[in-house]
Amino acid sequence: MPEFVTELLGLLGGGAGFAVLKVAFVVFFGVAVMMVVSAPSPSAGKVTYGLLRVGTAALLLAVLAYQATWQVGGFGNRAFVRFLRRYNKRPNAAQVQVVRAPILDRNGMVLAAPKRGEVWGRVYPLGEAAVHPVGYFHPRYGMTGVERLFDPVLSGYSDDESLMAKARGVFTPRADEGAPVTLNIDQRLQRKAYDLMAGQRGAVVVMRPQSGALLALVSSPGFDPNAPGPAAADGRALPAFNRAVQGRYPPGSTFKMLIAAAALTEGLSPAYDCPGGGYVARGSPPIRDSEYYAYQRNGKVWPGWGRLGMRGAMAHSSNVYFAQLGVAAGGAAFNRMMANARINEQLPYITAPDGSLRTARGNAPEVTKNATLAQLAIGQGEVLVTPLHMACFTAAIAADGTMPRPRLGKDEPPERLGTLCTPQVAAQIRPMLREVVTGGTGAKAEIAGLEVAGKTGTAQVPGAKDHAWFTCFAPAGRPNIVVTVLVENGGFGATAALPVAREVLKLADTLGYVRTAEGAGGSSECGVQSAECGVRSAELAGAVP
Amino acid sequence: MRKKKVVPAIGPIASAAGVFLVVLLALGCALLAVLGVKSGELAGASAAPLIPLGVFAAGVPLLLVWLRVIGWRGDAGILGAVILLSGLGLTVQFRMGSFARGLESLQSLAPFAVGLAAFAAGATLTRKGKGAWTQPMGWVAYLAALGVLGAVMALGRGYRGGLYLAGNISPTEVVKPLLVFFLAMYLGRNAEAFSETRAGIPLPSFPALAGLVALWCVPMGLTVYQRDLGMVALLNAILLVMLFAVGRRMGYLALGLAALAAAGYGVQYLPSHVQVRFDVWLNPFEDPTGKGWQILHGLAAMYSGGWWGAGLGGGVPQAVPIVTSDFIYAALAEEVGLVGCALLLAAYAVLFSRGFRAAGAAATPFERLLCVGLTASLATQTLLNVAGVTKALPMTGITLPFISHGGTSLITSMLTAGLICGLSDNGSGD
Repeated sequence: MPEFVTELLGLLGGGAGFAVLKVAFVVFFGVAVMMVVSAPSPSAGKVTYGLLRVGTAALLLAVLAYQATWQVGGFGNRAFVRFLRRYNKRPNAAQVQVVRAPILDRNGMVLAAPKRGEVWGRVYPLGEAAVHPVGYFHPRYGMTGVERLFDPVLSGYSDDESLMAKARGVFTPRADEGAPVTLNIDQRLQRKAYDLMAGQRGAVVVMRPQSGALLALVSSPGFDPNAPGPAAADGRALPAFNRAVQGRYPPGSTFKMLIAAAALTEGLSPAYDCPGGGYVARGSPPIRDSEYYAYQRNGKVWPGWGRLGMRGAMAHSSNVYFAQLGVAAGGAAFNRMMANARINEQLPYITAPDGSLRTARGNAPEVTKNATLAQLAIGQGEVLVTPLHMACFTAAIAADGTMPRPRLGKDEPPERLGTLCTPQVAAQIRPMLREVVTGGTGAKAEIAGLEVAGKTGTAQVPGAKDHAWFTCFAPAGRPNIVVTVLVENGGFGATAALPVAREVLKLADTLGYVRTAEGAGGSSECGVQSAECGVRSAELAGAVP
Repeated sequence: MRKKKVVPAIGPIASAAGVFLVVLLALGCALLAVLGVKSGELAGASAAPLIPLGVFAAGVPLLLVWLRVIGWRGDAGILGAVILLSGLGLTVQFRMGSFARGLESLQSLAPFAVGLAAFAAGATLTRKGKGAWTQPMGWVAYLAALGVLGAVMALGRGYRGGLYLAGNISPTEVVKPLLVFFLAMYLGRNAEAFSETRAGIPLPSFPALAGLVALWCVPMGLTVYQRDLGMVALLNAILLVMLFAVGRRMGYLALGLAALAAAGYGVQYLPSHVQVRFDVWLNPFEDPTGKGWQILHGLAAMYSGGWWGAGLGGGVPQAVPIVTSDFIYAALAEEVGLVGCALLLAAYAVLFSRGFRAAGAAATPFERLLCVGLTASLATQTLLNVAGVTKALPMTGITLPFISHGGTSLITSMLTAGLICGLSDNGSGD
């Protein structure tokens, strides 16, 4: 072919030339069809196959209408859009397909955002630190977490697959972009808490006690959301497992908060003798204080706390006291408290138009025998809770006995899960937990001027190192924040879990979450842009290739 | 001759010539657009791929001249629609690169030239109401159909669920018009028997019915044996329409609907390769990368086309597997959009509507039934293909007349259309 022809054609192939030819083609094509429609025909015969003629035309029209539900209304079909996203390799795919909207933290910082020009591309500025609550969106491994739950919202397509919805889809233009989802997470707290858990397995929950807003929901170890493969294959550290909401652990001594609340609700606030030899409920092995074993290891004999009130027993985390208290309160009071605390329920922590994410179910057995009650009263035995359950109990004590529903999504209205105890009972327990920090097992948690209150827990695990708990709130007088830390096989709560909680509280205080009540304009805006400060959605378009 | 009928101001051939010229303009635009998009690849390329379009540009006028010579005065709508559809088909195949091998193989060139000749021959055979002499040929046609089916069974090889002869020629296409000839002969001779009804239920006399059933079972059996589900559906649809056309007894259509319902219910008892097609139809998303792959990519092509399409040459229809034959409609939908598809289906609708209309004016019952059957053959094929690609019905592996790639398909369609075109001139216009 001569060169000038090629060049001439090249001009037609580009932009305007092509558009003109495209329109001209349709016009000529249409004119030709019109000419055919109006072409002369010989006169009709006596028999007219009207039914066949109209029937054929009607069938063609019906097929065309059905075609339209795909061709211009296919956007209404969720499964189809998912297929397009995954397998449609057309270079113009980005124009045809909707850009998946970002997931943002409470300050508009990016937790997940689209990679421009890539159908499945996704940027996660926090990486493995937030992979559990945020989830991932991966061409091979699919979706998890908020990415999965809010897929229709983020992708901007309808879930409605009825014929009516399809028909509507034909006449409504497709959206260019889905709607962003905003979480209550503060990415600075999330990142800090995850870093503090480095090298350890466990979970951190940071929560507003009044509204249940989750400022951080950390499970460690995390994994790269853009490469979930190895995590799914790791059967030892189980990084894909969201410990904060799916992990079920014996609560250990942290459970004493609930036992105290149960007893106070029954009007019990006794003092007991707490001998060094421990307490024996009928049919149970002796329940002893941890000091008994510490003394034994040093070749000494633990003399016991002597007579303890509830306040002192809480501060020293006396097993001997709380075993007796549990038995005294009785099985019925215990069972009522377990029901109020919703231990046997899956707590929804984020809801979407078509479902919700829920925690695992905890476990609290129906108790009738004193022997089991004595064990359960110190958080051992068959009782199991998730870290998020624990944060909710702590929030209830912090917020006048009302248990808030944990809320990961920012736009959900606050709800109550129920009443754990009366405001009076909660008000009685808060000073006890404050004393844990001022003069008890949680002494290292004190931060000057913050009035931290909390409870340590060291839960025995058969054949392995103990699980370490620390759950706390601050300020003790008018709590604005709850921090719950669990370190799997971490040993003592006071040494393994408490330092993490302390550092998280410090940062939360710097960010203004502790001294100001929620809604009082607390959280400070990110003044200086830095890596630590995170990425704003608007910058991302330019920043990410 | 008592009175001369009103002759339209423009003769049918002049009218068709007008359509041809406008189609040529449309194709010219499409051609330039496609070449423009591909200009990067053109350096040093030969002009050979353009030859089939040249055959169209030169062959259609020749055909019109021939029709003038034989004095054809039939329905210009039928002739115009065929010119429009076949021209578009050539352009789309050119765009899909089907002629890329150029002169090296005659396969790319021959079908259209032969198709034009077949059209001319068909029109000549049945023009001016002189087609009745072919009625006794119905038996020959029947035996020829059996011969073709038998030969394919004996010599053919399986490929993608169908049987083909060497070079992937699918001679079973010819079976359609052959059997239509036979049915027109048989039903025409037993017209009274097949018009009998009692309380709306068709009740043909026993010998006529038994004869039909016995004769029909042989080609059906052979087709079923070849696992050609689409052909079975197509042939039975033609049979039903022709039975209806004998005496316009609605009962036959009702019977057809009942048979369809029974077939839907009986799917679970059918062989697995048929069930698979139904499963894919109902739940393509259950196995998107396997069985649903082709249909879903066809739908993806449509979706990316939208209302106006990407323009010929502007889309990526190659993403659809085997797009040039069964799925050519998806390629069209992507590049000419829903609007273009509506225009295309309108052209088909004119062809079918005028075909049925011409049947009504035919000189003898045989010609009437022949015209109905041939039109029904093209219409059913079009509907089954388009419905299959759009997922309105299960896939049947049937080609789109005039548009799909495939020599025998195009030649058969052109022959069928030529016969209809000839039948549309019943001689009363002279």
